[in-house]
Amino acid sequence: MSRRKRMMENLNQEIRDFIERETQDNIERGMSPDEARYAALRKFGNMTQVEEETWAVWSFVWLEQLWQDVRCGLRQLHRNPGFTLVATLTLALGIGANTAIFSAVYAVLLKPLPFAHPGQLVRVFEANDRAGIGGEGCSYPEFQEWRRQNHVFSGMAAIQGHELNLTGRGEPMVVKVGDVTADFFPLLGVPPLAGRAFLPPDDDEGAAPVAVLSEGLWRSRFGADPNLIGKAIDLDKRSFTVVGVMPAGFRFSLDGRGGQLWIPIVQDPTFGPLAKRPNLGSFTAIARLKPEVTAAEGRAEMEALGNPLVQQYHPGDRGRTIRIASLREAMTGDAPAPLLVLLAAVGLVLLIACANVANLLLARATSRAREFAMRAALGAGRIRILRQLLTESAVLGLLGAAVGMALAYWGVQGLSGLLPPGFPRAESIRVDGSVLAFALLLSIGASLLFGLAPALFAADPQLHAALQESGGRPGEGKGRRRARNLLVTAEVALAMVLVVGAGLLIRSFAALLAVDPGFETRNIMKAEVSLPRFQYSTPQQWVAFSNEALARIQAQPDLHDTAVALPLPLADQSCNLSFSIANGAPQPPGTNHTADYVAVSPNYFQVIGIPLLRGRTFTAQDVMSTPRVAIISEELARTYFPNRDPLGQQLVFGFPPDTNVKREIVGVVGDVRDAALNKRPGPMMYVPFNQAPLWGVGLVIKTSSSAAAAANEIRAKVHEVDRDLPVTDVGWMFEAVDVSLGQAHLRTWLLGLFGALALVLAAAGIFGVISYSVSRRRREFGLRMALGASEQEVLRLVLKEALRLALAGVAAGLVLAVGLARLISSLLYGVRPADPATLIAAPLLLTGAALLAAYLPARRATRVDPMAALRYE
Amino acid sequence: MSTKEQQERIELLQGTLDLLILRTLLPGPTHGHAIAKAIEFRSDDVLQVEQGSLYPALHRLIKRGWISVQDGTSEHNRRAKFYRLTARGRRQLQVETGNWEKLAGAIARILRPAPTEGES
Repeated sequence: MSRRKRMMENLNQEIRDFIERETQDNIERGMSPDEARYAALRKFGNMTQVEEETWAVWSFVWLEQLWQDVRCGLRQLHRNPGFTLVATLTLALGIGANTAIFSAVYAVLLKPLPFAHPGQLVRVFEANDRAGIGGEGCSYPEFQEWRRQNHVFSGMAAIQGHELNLTGRGEPMVVKVGDVTADFFPLLGVPPLAGRAFLPPDDDEGAAPVAVLSEGLWRSRFGADPNLIGKAIDLDKRSFTVVGVMPAGFRFSLDGRGGQLWIPIVQDPTFGPLAKRPNLGSFTAIARLKPEVTAAEGRAEMEALGNPLVQQYHPGDRGRTIRIASLREAMTGDAPAPLLVLLAAVGLVLLIACANVANLLLARATSRAREFAMRAALGAGRIRILRQLLTESAVLGLLGAAVGMALAYWGVQGLSGLLPPGFPRAESIRVDGSVLAFALLLSIGASLLFGLAPALFAADPQLHAALQESGGRPGEGKGRRRARNLLVTAEVALAMVLVVGAGLLIRSFAALLAVDPGFETRNIMKAEVSLPRFQYSTPQQWVAFSNEALARIQAQPDLHDTAVALPLPLADQSCNLSFSIANGAPQPPGTNHTADYVAVSPNYFQVIGIPLLRGRTFTAQDVMSTPRVAIISEELARTYFPNRDPLGQQLVFGFPPDTNVKREIVGVVGDVRDAALNKRPGPMMYVPFNQAPLWGVGLVIKTSSSAAAAANEIRAKVHEVDRDLPVTDVGWMFEAVDVSLGQAHLRTWLLGLFGALALVLAAAGIFGVISYSVSRRRREFGLRMALGASEQEVLRLVLKEALRLALAGVAAGLVLAVGLARLISSLLYGVRPADPATLIAAPLLLTGAALLAAYLPARRATRVDPMAALRYE
Repeated sequence: MSTKEQQERIELLQGTLDLLILRTLLPGPTHGHAIAKAIEFRSDDVLQVEQGSLYPALHRLIKRGWISVQDGTSEHNRRAKFYRLTARGRRQLQVETGNWEKLAGAIARILRPAPTEGES
């Protein structure tokens, strides 16, 4: 606007000069001044209009032409509602799917973390490539050494996740607590909404317990009470003073653990004491690189630092090093791979959609050839016609994008509901400005993609020459037919890739569903009770509570089959513990022999349906005062006692202070998949809950009553023992199975959807090409039939054309699919990328769909009236 | 107003104003009013230039790169914008003059009395 203003002022000045000169001339010719001025003005004309026209020379020409083209495009679309509907919907599906998936990719992989200078934030961890250990945390003393010795970080913080019971002010609830060091908040660079963050003295042992709340918890639990700062809240029945509240956007979750409130590590009932031990605890360390230090420099320094430290803290553990990784990488975990696969899949869907629309446009361009010949004859240049056609494509693309964005908006809403719990950064997945910009760019790119070839053909000057000669019906050149066939072949090939990918995932998912977890999931309910660690601080107390609660619950007739187990199978945290065989050969250092540890009540195996293979189950006599016993899983027996009877052998394992306690193996039970359904059963060791308990209680209940009724009874019985204990994670065991399958389910479902979409679009493409071909070959078919060809023969002729296209596409697609399938091998379970069943079924499916799509136009070909067709000549 | 003004002045054909401006600028840079005067004067006042249309035409020519504009001082020491023919404009003038002569010749031939049979 300022450019316009400056120019207009100049112009105005010049015009006034002009009129003054003219007036002067007139006066010299003898007019009176008034008359002279009037004559000059009249001769000049409308001053404002002149100014506008002059300005228009500069600005509005291209804009006007664009507007003309847009209007022309809209008119064209309006005139062909069928074409417009099909093309818009096709594009909308492609663009919508891309936009929805991109919104997730953007949130997880691209959107900056909501912290100050997020690029400087890293996670520091230990790894041992030789032992296949990826990212391990560190002990608290190690962390302190790292912090003290390094020169590359401007700050370092240790964190740990934990759940504690929040009581007082309403129902007791379990809150996710982030245990952090005082540097945590300043390191991330996010100031509190109210109050203060932690200060270094808060990390000292013996400091007063303090807590910082998330905005969400402050609002939901405390009604956003502005006077909460300085007040006390109870965590595990211990009083913490609230010192601050973090703003709403502040979320920090790592390894699927997010915090609803934060406390200093030293104040945590479990991890506070652990923090003193030099070789225990897996704290996560995060750090901020100094601005002038690159990630490579940081990595080098930490590796150098690591050598003596690793020797000191992990003697004999060779190959162990200290590594750093960007915080974003650490936070997204293994989410990127499936996301990128999905993004690639929707990209293919969009390509297929573009090919379809390009085919439609090619067909239409032929029928519009006369219009373009006319325009060319009237002096429109090739470029001008190209521009008009591309503008029309862009209008179509934007129309598709508008509908697609609406689809994406709904899609993202649906997607958010389907995301499995713990999906990284799920809260920031939404259709925002960046995502809309992506959709807009995508639609413009797609318009060029599907519009360019048809536009080039339409603006082809040779066509116009040919048109003049034939004078009548525009013919279709060989080049154009080849382009159409190539497009549809490519479509089939791309669809093939997607169908194979979807097929592989569906086969994997079926394999996952068929997996036997090793225990019953139907009619089994589960529930967890977490005990406040300050009140229930001794193993004796845990046992007493568990027996009391179990007895009360079992007294209910419909809850008689209730057992205790901790941790429960398929729960978030499995308890992996190292062990050794008593009197066995000493194990080489650095190699960890671990098994999952579960403390159970005697009837657990019977209730949940894990078969006893040898020996005995636990009994009521297995308590703290009797000899220590253990039951192992078949896998452990097979691996560690290959040629020996495990019964009577002793394993050495346990939680502090019982780390070196020998336990006699009294039984062997069947394998279970306790960590996740897609993980092979690992070695397991069970101990009697009454002999070696853990904090809290996990319950499994075999019941035929309804979930709600059972949950209420369990709550009531637990509250009879202790009114302040929250009962959480109540639900059917098969629901836990579903959660464990959540990610696999979602991506199978989505890729299946995209594969189906691709199949339909490819079939539509075949349908379009064959229909068009049939309509152009009417005369030929008429002639053939007049010469005695049967309907069958004509039908076969048309289907053969379709089959040729489909087979070419399928063959090309098969090669592509086999090459690309390896890229998704990390998502597969129980099938190889070159799965024969999928590689046979997918081509059959596509070929079948192609023939089906060609059948309708083929039928039409057989109904050509030979006489009518011939008369046409 | 004289009768001559009312009866004998003819309106410019579309596009010819550009040609006239280019030709007027051939001797040297001139300001807007002088261009208008020169066209009227050289055509013996036959051509009626709607003076206002001069400016869109000038800007069109600037945009095409055929003329350029700069500040200068006019005869009475007044500041004014001077328009100058560029090298491209000079070439364009040649082309357009040639076109115009062809067109004028063609129209003249058509308007000549019809030739007798067999002559063409």
